[in-house]
Amino acid sequence: MKGRNIIAASALGALVAAGCGSSGGGTTAGGGSKACKASIGIEAPITGPVAVLGQEQLHFAQLALSLDNKQNKTKITLVQGDTQLDPKQATTATQQLTSNANVLAVVGPAGSQEVEAVGPLFARATMAFISGSATNVTLTQGKYPTFFRVVSNDHVQGMNDANYIVNNLHPKAVMIVDDQEVYSTGLVGFMTPILKAAGIKVDHQSVSQKLTDFSSLVAKVTPATSVVILPWQVAGNAQQFGRNLAQQHKKAVIFGTDGLFSPDAFKIPGSYVSAFGPDITAIPADASLVTAAKKYGSFGTFGPPIFAATHVIDEAIASVCKAGQTPSRSNVLAAIKKTNESTSILGQPISFDSHGDNAHGKFFLFKINSAGKYELIPG
Amino acid sequence: MGFFFQELVNGIVVGALYSLIALGFSMVYGVLKLLNFAHGDLYMVGAFAGYFVIQWFGGSKALTIPVPLLLVIMFVLAAALTGGLGVAIERFAYRPLRNAPRIAPLITAIGISFFLENAALLLFGGQFRIYNTSDFIPFSSGFQIGSVSVDAVQIMVVVLGIALMIALQQLVVRTKLGKQMRAVAADREAAEMLGINVNFTIAATFFLGSALAGVAGVMAGLLFNQVTNTIGFLAGLKAFTAAVVGGIGSLPGAMLGGLLIGMAESFITGYVSSTFTNLLVFGLLIAVMLVRPSGLLGQVQLQKV
Repeated sequence: MKGRNIIAASALGALVAAGCGSSGGGTTAGGGSKACKASIGIEAPITGPVAVLGQEQLHFAQLALSLDNKQNKTKITLVQGDTQLDPKQATTATQQLTSNANVLAVVGPAGSQEVEAVGPLFARATMAFISGSATNVTLTQGKYPTFFRVVSNDHVQGMNDANYIVNNLHPKAVMIVDDQEVYSTGLVGFMTPILKAAGIKVDHQSVSQKLTDFSSLVAKVTPATSVVILPWQVAGNAQQFGRNLAQQHKKAVIFGTDGLFSPDAFKIPGSYVSAFGPDITAIPADASLVTAAKKYGSFGTFGPPIFAATHVIDEAIASVCKAGQTPSRSNVLAAIKKTNESTSILGQPISFDSHGDNAHGKFFLFKINSAGKYELIPG
Repeated sequence: MGFFFQELVNGIVVGALYSLIALGFSMVYGVLKLLNFAHGDLYMVGAFAGYFVIQWFGGSKALTIPVPLLLVIMFVLAAALTGGLGVAIERFAYRPLRNAPRIAPLITAIGISFFLENAALLLFGGQFRIYNTSDFIPFSSGFQIGSVSVDAVQIMVVVLGIALMIALQQLVVRTKLGKQMRAVAADREAAEMLGINVNFTIAATFFLGSALAGVAGVMAGLLFNQVTNTIGFLAGLKAFTAAVVGGIGSLPGAMLGGLLIGMAESFITGYVSSTFTNLLVFGLLIAVMLVRPSGLLGQVQLQKV
């Protein structure tokens, strides 16, 4: 009897030990034992001037998390960090997230300047962070070893846009106007040589992002200038530029970069806008996700890449648990580096190169139709 | 030649707007010697008021009242609202500091500016509100001579701006209130001893100056279409510069300064490069100040010893 008690006690002890092990770090995600628990952060402009975009990003992160938790039988929770698209705010949010031991990786932040501000903090915390919209080329040149992005970069965008203009719009002359921000001047730098090499006359102008009247500038648009390229970030300004063109009866077409992708604010018919994310409503495989996302209201191209980024982290955590390890910042980071998704919500594979760029990232081009709606240009 | 006249039109339109804002700035400085940095934010409030009037009457595409009536309501309501707000600001933020060192009301003015900007952010959000003026005043309602286009909104802005400037000048020169304002501006204590109600005069000045900012805000909304909580900063800065260049405290000077800045911006953008617009405009203004430190139409202050 005594022997049986010893055996029973030993078995109970082993079970308790196993239980403690699994509760501490989780076992197999799909293995049916105790749940794989972790927290991830999201840094987005949840309030402030671009709260509309931040809310969309937050909703898509929540959607991805709920679907992945269900699919992987994980218990991953989301911790919010509001950046207001301000590098200072992003720094504060990052300090809060990195000091929270439960947070293993972060989705975001949205802007390249924010990434510049928080990159060193995440590197020091050995914590992966995946942006769904920061496209500056310099971010993936090795200085931020824990940074990843699921979208492509501005170099690709600049080349794609310039080549499209050369090959499809055939202008003799273009006006390209930067808004005196790094994003804008960088894109001008990528596009101008391609345009000039094609024999197109390029009139480079520059205006402050705070300017709201472009009538003087529009007066300089000559009859030979059939395309005005606006690598801007304030869609309302581009809308006003388009109105000034109409006001002065100028026929030039506006070609905007991803900073202008805003179906509610920029809708000058005939204009072109590139985007780092596709219109997922046009991807048949995303139909169920589109239906699920509609409970949050209308959405644009900022949400789906965040869904993809969240999914990458969720899968990394699940894979760590499946391997029988306790998820930590370092093993989740290692798992993210090994990401190899053959398809994603973005309609393209996701895997990262050695500096965190999506090896399959590409840009998409839309044309605004006569009703002001964005239509994806195939190809 | 057409290009020259197009830039001239653009410069006059923007200059008229700057002049209108600068007038209020200059009036307040004239009577109170206060740089009211919240003035640009009153312009922003006026622009929002105009936007919400459009929404109340069905939105830009489906207006339920005739356009002329809509415009009257927009201007009157914006002027009343910003005028009242200006009086409240003077009463509660500036009057208690009237005898304090001059730095105190200056700091308060900056604080009020931030307060208004953030209150608008809280109330209306950070996104742009769009007037969509061309939905109810189409571009075709203007005229075109050769390659020079002038639309109805531009004409209205210039005509209304000039009318308001003339009306204000007449008010200051010919009415009892105008005399009181000039008396308070010249010597507040002496004016009080002569029986002038200084508090009322200053409040009236704030009302008029702020109302002009509100009207300018609606004009800006109609011209530039977009309104957000931060538009007041740059407008206030330009108005301040216009007032100083024209001779701060001088109403004709404010008008001249505004027009000068508007035209300089337009011609430099057109004939030099938009890249250097601010650099050259402010360079020009520095040159003006070096030649005439009290401004183009400002009077040299004599100090009795």
